[in-house]
Amino acid sequence: MKYCVKIEVSLKPGHTDPEGNTTQRLLKELGYNVDSVSVSKIYNVQIESQNSREAKIKAEEMAKRLLANPTKDNYTIKVEEQK
Amino acid sequence: MKLEEVRVCVMRVGGTNCDIETARAFKELGIQAEIRHLNELVKNRNLLDYHVLVFPGGFSYGDYVRAGVIFARRLYAKLGRELKTFVENNRPILGICNGFQVLVEEGLLPGFELFSAYPEASLAANIPQGYNCRWIYLKHESKGNCIFTRRIPQGKVLYVPVAHSEGRFLFPKEKEEQFLERLYEEDMLVFRYCDKFGNYAEGQYPTNPNGSFHDIAGICNSQGTIFGLMPHPERALYWWQQPDWTRRSSKVQYADGKLFFDGLLDYLLKKF
Amino acid sequence: MSLSHLFIRVNTNFNIHEIDTQNATDEQLQQLSNELGLGLNLQEMKQIQAYFKTQKRNPTDVELQILGQTWSEHCCHKTFKGKIKMGDKEINSLFKTYIAKATKELNPKWCLSVFEDNAGIISFDKDYAIAAKVETHNHPSAVEPFGGAATGVGGVIRDILGVWADPIACTNVLGFGPLDYDYTKLPSGVKHPKYVYMGVTAGIGAYGNNMGIPTVNGAIYFDESYTGNVVVYCGCIGLLPLKKFKKEAKPDHIIVVAGGKTGRDGIHGVTFASAELTEKSEEVSRPAVQIADPIEEEKVKRALIEIRDRELASAITDLGGGGMSSAVGETAERYGCGATVDLDKVPLKYSGLAPWEIYLSESQERMLITVPPENLEDVLDIFKKEDVEATAVGKLTKDRRLRLRFFDVTVAELDMELLFSSTTSTKTASWIAPEIAEPTFSVPKDLTGTLLQLLSTPNIASKESVIRTYDHEVKGNTALKPLHGEYAGPNDAAVIKPVDNCWKGIVISCGMNPAYGKIDPYWMAASAIDEAIRNNLAVGGRRIALLDNFVWGNPEKPERLGSLVKACEACYDFATAFKTPFISGKDSLYNESPLGPVTPTLLITAIGVVPDIRSVVSMDLKAPNNLIYLVGNTYPELGGSEYYKLHGYIGKSVPQVRKAEAKKNFKVITQAIDAGLIKACHDLSEGGLAVAVAEMALAGGYGAELNLKKVVGAGLKRDDFVLFSESNSRFLVEVSEQDRQAFEVLTKWKGCSLIGKVSRNPKLVINGLSGSVVVEASLEKLRESWKQTLSGGV
Repeated sequence: MKYCVKIEVSLKPGHTDPEGNTTQRLLKELGYNVDSVSVSKIYNVQIESQNSREAKIKAEEMAKRLLANPTKDNYTIKVEEQK
Repeated sequence: MKLEEVRVCVMRVGGTNCDIETARAFKELGIQAEIRHLNELVKNRNLLDYHVLVFPGGFSYGDYVRAGVIFARRLYAKLGRELKTFVENNRPILGICNGFQVLVEEGLLPGFELFSAYPEASLAANIPQGYNCRWIYLKHESKGNCIFTRRIPQGKVLYVPVAHSEGRFLFPKEKEEQFLERLYEEDMLVFRYCDKFGNYAEGQYPTNPNGSFHDIAGICNSQGTIFGLMPHPERALYWWQQPDWTRRSSKVQYADGKLFFDGLLDYLLKKF
Repeated sequence: MSLSHLFIRVNTNFNIHEIDTQNATDEQLQQLSNELGLGLNLQEMKQIQAYFKTQKRNPTDVELQILGQTWSEHCCHKTFKGKIKMGDKEINSLFKTYIAKATKELNPKWCLSVFEDNAGIISFDKDYAIAAKVETHNHPSAVEPFGGAATGVGGVIRDILGVWADPIACTNVLGFGPLDYDYTKLPSGVKHPKYVYMGVTAGIGAYGNNMGIPTVNGAIYFDESYTGNVVVYCGCIGLLPLKKFKKEAKPDHIIVVAGGKTGRDGIHGVTFASAELTEKSEEVSRPAVQIADPIEEEKVKRALIEIRDRELASAITDLGGGGMSSAVGETAERYGCGATVDLDKVPLKYSGLAPWEIYLSESQERMLITVPPENLEDVLDIFKKEDVEATAVGKLTKDRRLRLRFFDVTVAELDMELLFSSTTSTKTASWIAPEIAEPTFSVPKDLTGTLLQLLSTPNIASKESVIRTYDHEVKGNTALKPLHGEYAGPNDAAVIKPVDNCWKGIVISCGMNPAYGKIDPYWMAASAIDEAIRNNLAVGGRRIALLDNFVWGNPEKPERLGSLVKACEACYDFATAFKTPFISGKDSLYNESPLGPVTPTLLITAIGVVPDIRSVVSMDLKAPNNLIYLVGNTYPELGGSEYYKLHGYIGKSVPQVRKAEAKKNFKVITQAIDAGLIKACHDLSEGGLAVAVAEMALAGGYGAELNLKKVVGAGLKRDDFVLFSESNSRFLVEVSEQDRQAFEVLTKWKGCSLIGKVSRNPKLVINGLSGSVVVEASLEKLRESWKQTLSGGV
């Protein structure tokens, strides 16, 4: 089966997000009353897998081994079957 | 072993770009440094022919995902076993700027477990945000553990440049104090950002150029053999590289950056 | 009217058409040009029609696209190389009549290759040469600031690689609209200057930093007209071992394309650059926007340097505007060959590209080299080691024909002569001096306040917040940096020490005075040349070569073209007077937007050398009690000055350049630097004497006391004019008391005077013509005014 896995990597709460803060300042300057902005990255991964559970386990590994640094990053995973 | 027999490998991949000036710094010490692409080392499987391994600055693999992480993972996947042996032999490893990021992502720094499976620290996006190229002051903190800086007296203030956008040294929030304590206990804290009089930056920009925790600019592992730092000593090697040399009346041959490499000589001559 | 009946689908399993030009009316020919985006006029279309008549067949879409590209303004510079009628004068090629003529007449031995290769090449020492090139990337940056600027840098770096040089430094000069521009006044399709400013500066930093090439010199200039027409000049300096400068391609040598894959990127970028920006540009020009990949280019660079050092290739060029079409055509033309290319071999990003798209694609980070067949394997191995894709796609041939094949079907076959035979048109030019009066206003009471205001005007204010985002010292060879010392003073030029074990340096500076052009483009060009040269001399540079980069409006409009002619006249006059040859240049015309044309802007880049970087001089005051001299006469020349602008005027009294005086000043600066007499030197430009001395003081951390009565020149009756006049060819020089005599022996003529001294008191004090204090400000106050405007960037 082919799966589309979305791995979203974002900063753990409590960590300063310089890019988000800068963007917020700019949006405010443009007249939007924005409380906060945080930036996260989404990796769209196409993967061949037995089932969605296995796809998710593989995605967890990817996040741990490469995509997220546990010191500062959280990650969430969404698995969708590819049509 | 004679100095001229020492082999230094300055390792590069696509996007590494401070390899030539880094090799030049070793040449000033009288050591021949070879610039080698990771692909060459993988092909020849000869990492262990070298006595010193250096990760220079740059944007390895475009700093995609996180600065240094792709280099670190690829190196581990291709030459993990050799690298492990290299580390266990206590052969010196130096990481400058992007190289420091590689060592942190590789789990070698702080390296509380010598070679950690996951990074125990991170070099996060600068605060204030963005790339910053400027000269800063560093205070030498090591009591002698770091083999690279042994010739530098503790407390000495040095003048070198930084140039990066991801250099904010961080520990996991919940372990911050505990890890910091270990740095002190095991003499792993090597450099902190300070002003020209030696007062710590205390997080003040631009004295601390990136918002690093505890003004940390460089650390070594507990063996003292692996050393990483954000500033670029190789760009502060000669007196004419300093941003204010035209104001200085005495023109000594070298600037402060040379000191970062000198200590290595003693270690190498003793070890090999 | 539909043109579809003119398109004949060729019976192949890929997308190609013949176009029935023989049966097309004139009107249809012009329509064809528009529909296919060829950008050709009727005369040119008819020339094509005639050619294919002799060939007894119809052109393919590939062939039409190739001709559209090769004959475009961007690639063959119709304006600069065409005929111009101005009054009763007829100019046969602006380029030959003024720019190249200056170099030809001067004909210095140290100019090794000018206007011929991708970059100008001059000698450095017995082993090395310097390559220099400056490009513009205005249109792409207007549409997508980050990507446009980044790919601009990438492109000019490839120009340097395209002469086998190792890129060692980048420069950039940028022009933006006012950052506080009223949002509600922006026409749709025009982006806000602040957005453009942030995107462009980030793009430039990203490319240079990622590639590890220091960005060492530049300028940022603000002008109302740049709101709709952002100006982005990207420059690159390279170093090449003389022995390795190979130009020896022959028939049967293999054509190799290396680097990024080919996609639909930037197709018709060339014709796009030659057309005016309209409201629709954003929509229609998206394909012209590129994503930059500096890491790819870094890898390509590594491979090329190794190929160069092992002498494995016979020719090189970059794939820039016009893509393979331009690169293959020009390479074959240069070596008197033809070429055969198999377009199906070109590695693609995705399938479905038509042959003409592959050939014209402007995908970034690609280079073309020709390789003798016996070296091909080694060359491909080198690329492989660097993780770079490289493919043999064709070869040079003996006959002078360009043949393109796609899966063994010939899709284009043209005579090389036709490609390089575009017709020259005659354009009409006229120039009438604008009617601007000299303003009349009385001397402001608070000149200290005026100075502080001037220091914080965007054109004068510190650009530190931008410069720090550029790595200006990677490679560790930047001996004089753009920001000097603790207070980040603005050095006049950058100095690179490119070779280990050799003290010789390369000096890089620039000059640009668009405001003067609003009064007189001749004096604008003269001033830009003077400024670039004096910036270079001020740090110790000499043996200066110039690069010219014109950014102008639509040359079809006679008055725009007229001002271009005047600027070119000045280029010839002053390049010959100062013995500073032009070695490379580029023009970007058609810079027009819904807000109007760009202010005609000439950037002059100066490349000098300094025999020993240890004698280089910076601009910061060095020690109390040293003497301050003003070298050069001051005149009441405030037309186009920052001072007049502050009061809302342009004025008429544009600064002129007096050749004899200027040459005297230039000579004495070099002599005094060589004799070690100069402690600090700063050129006088925007804001004149007052701004120059303020910058020297705030950078050095020492105060200064000046006396305006001592300033020499003519017509100096007002304190404000003496303080803020922008007369050319002037320098402020710091000399120690013990060198006083030696310095005064050198400067015994009337155009140089001792006007003050350095003081320990951290204060700038200037005494006016009547003897009373007219300016008094603490260094802290000066620094604050100078740094606040653009600090923090956002």
